[in-house]
Amino acid sequence: MAVRAAILRHIRVPVMPSLRKSQTWSLLNSLRSMSSHGDDHLNKEEVIDRVLSVVKSFPKVDPSKVTPEVHFQKDLGLDSLDKVEIVMALEEEFKLEIPDKEADKIDSCNLAIEYIYNHPMAG
Amino acid sequence: MGGPKPLSGMQKQVLSLYRGFLRAARSKSPEDRRQIESIVSAEFRRHSKLVDRKNFLYIEYLLRRGHKQLDQLKSPDTLKLSSLSLRNLKRP
Repeated sequence: MAVRAAILRHIRVPVMPSLRKSQTWSLLNSLRSMSSHGDDHLNKEEVIDRVLSVVKSFPKVDPSKVTPEVHFQKDLGLDSLDKVEIVMALEEEFKLEIPDKEADKIDSCNLAIEYIYNHPMAG
Repeated sequence: MGGPKPLSGMQKQVLSLYRGFLRAARSKSPEDRRQIESIVSAEFRRHSKLVDRKNFLYIEYLLRRGHKQLDQLKSPDTLKLSSLSLRNLKRP
């Protein structure tokens, strides 16, 4: 947050007075992705919470079974089509596009959490 | 079902097609999207039970047909799956 405030302070003044709001916003976002583990990078607890809540809200999943260690097929009885749906729901939750090759590997909450936590664009 | 096995190349192609349909559905209105998702999901699940997993020729045919339907769905003119040749989706 301190970083963002500092950036904002710099950008606002006469540097680029003609910037429209949307341009400022995209500039901020690109700055943000450059700071690898800055203050406003998603912290791990938040990633875990949001991944678990996406998985729990999946209709075929018993929410009481969902933990960070849970395996989609072995523990939750999901098939490969379900897995595609869950990974796509995670894409939307974190505003990412996960390529097929990576998506095929994500078969547990743990892997999903690691992948998203290490993704620089996750938001 | 046994333990998790690595996916075969053909399974990956099927999953990739499924992903393609779900991505294409995102670009439609929320109502159409829900309808598309439920039809697509039902079709994939129906075939997953119906089709012998060793029937590679038939699965390849389904993959080709699916890709054609996906291309149609991706067009901004296609609002709903019902405007696709859905009758062809049913088995003869």
